[in-house]
Amino acid sequence: MLYRRLYQFFMIYFLGLASLMAIKYGLQLSDYVIPGPPEIASTGLRVSGRYLLNVLNTLAVAILGHILAIVLATGIGIIGRLTAWIGSFIRVAAYNIQAYPIVAVAPIIFILLGDGLSSRLLIAAMICYFPLLLSFVGIFSEPVPEIEHFFESTRRMTWRLQIKIRAFENIHKLITVVVGSATLAMVGTIVAEFIAANAGIGYSIRIALYQSDLAKILVALFLIGICTSLYLVLLEWIGYRIRRRWAIPEGGLK
Amino acid sequence: MKTRALKKRVDLYLAVVVFFFFTADAFAGGLAAQEVTYRLKWLFNISVVGDLWADVNGNFARRGLKVTVKPGGPERDAIKELELGRSQFGVASADQVIRAVSKGAHVVVLAQLFQVNPLQWIYRPARTPIKTPQDLKGKTIGITYGGNDEAIMRALLAKYHIRENEVRLYSVRYDYTPFYQGKVDLWPLYRNAQAPIIGEKLRKAGERFDFLNPSQLGIQFVANSVVTSQKMLAQHPQIVQRFMEALLEGWRAALNPANRQKAIAIVLKFNRETPAEIIRRQLPVTRSLMLPTADFQFGKIDVEAWKQTEQIMLAQKLISKPVHVENLLKPVAQ
Repeated sequence: MLYRRLYQFFMIYFLGLASLMAIKYGLQLSDYVIPGPPEIASTGLRVSGRYLLNVLNTLAVAILGHILAIVLATGIGIIGRLTAWIGSFIRVAAYNIQAYPIVAVAPIIFILLGDGLSSRLLIAAMICYFPLLLSFVGIFSEPVPEIEHFFESTRRMTWRLQIKIRAFENIHKLITVVVGSATLAMVGTIVAEFIAANAGIGYSIRIALYQSDLAKILVALFLIGICTSLYLVLLEWIGYRIRRRWAIPEGGLK
Repeated sequence: MKTRALKKRVDLYLAVVVFFFFTADAFAGGLAAQEVTYRLKWLFNISVVGDLWADVNGNFARRGLKVTVKPGGPERDAIKELELGRSQFGVASADQVIRAVSKGAHVVVLAQLFQVNPLQWIYRPARTPIKTPQDLKGKTIGITYGGNDEAIMRALLAKYHIRENEVRLYSVRYDYTPFYQGKVDLWPLYRNAQAPIIGEKLRKAGERFDFLNPSQLGIQFVANSVVTSQKMLAQHPQIVQRFMEALLEGWRAALNPANRQKAIAIVLKFNRETPAEIIRRQLPVTRSLMLPTADFQFGKIDVEAWKQTEQIMLAQKLISKPVHVENLLKPVAQ
């Protein structure tokens, strides 16, 4: 899984780079518009160590934000399943809040919380929270009648059991949405850093843009891609372990 | 017989009509204004009042040019647009020009808009008395990492032998709160565009303020200038000449105190967000930065300032080798 993810990323990255080079040499553009391979290589050698630390910093915040979003979405999703009205209200609120562009909301967050970790964390969580919430509300509100009926008729149904049944029946969907939202957490963190933070790879990209240094941005994109791929592989592996643990043995339940 | 002659005549008329129909565009093209695009460095504000004046008052049209003036912004780079053929003229700062040339871009400078760099630092003299550059020691100074102000401040510190560990550099953004709160002693801003707004707030709060102007301390770092590509200058010198004549004429008119109300109205037309009262304050400051003396020749290129800008960039390793910027300065319309 790890090797496949990485070589697929390398393929995409180098195809993109090759397209850029085709445009550069096709249109005879200077290194100012699109840097040549020697400049990209020398920039990579010069900044990749520092940029790797920045990407890891960003990734750490993204993971924290992602965990925070999962916890929040689970909590709200559980509350949202209580009645159809609450579920629908949460969905509408989520749609409305998600419609606000983060670049408009972020300055307010930075004014209130400053440009430290808390702002980056909050924005990362905000970006990946809503897709998670909508899925969680949907999954936790959807009854599994063939199983739930038994526990209800035997009066053994509790809210915890209900959540477990619904989560178990939709474990594939839950894992897919958690893995998918991980990239959003990374994007959210980078956007936050780009707008106002003083650390992380988004901040480095912003400085590189000020200096019109596309070579640095290409190096940053390469490292972001690798680290995001590794995080996704980790999440898929955790999902795989959970599925195996929850799976019904071939011989059936004893 | 008569019918055949009539038919021939009709055919001839038809042929003439068809000929004119298909060639009308070509004729019109020969007589129509030459279309060019002019990409500004920033959004429509007081710093582009002359560009807008030339557009609105027909200075370009009178010289046979149809100019599309496009606003700039943080993601816009006029030099890249010149190279990609999306614009024929643009506004760029000296550091952009020097950086681009060091990476193989073929760009020339036609005029220098600001004679004094508007990028300066605001401070409160009551809280932060600064009489000499040495007073910067121990102060918290805002800079935009990667921006012009970083290069200017580092050059200033280097010139006065102030080590980086003797000041605290603070990474700034659009939010002025750290300055208002007193966490940062000196905050970078554009003297003509932002200072009247920030100054107004400080004035309302009963605070005095002043500016640290690096050019008064010997740091000449050139700001906005009009640029085009070497190819454009070589292949269409007449268009470049006409464009620059119209543009400089527009700027001179916009900065003429007699045209004050008209200039303010033009900025307001394109920028409804800034109150007229603020624009009224911004205009004289802009004039003083572009025309330092009453008889100053607008658009004059300060060669020594350009050379110093290149030296600063070399010293700070922002470029790897000299570009001999003096060879790029082509004031065609002066």
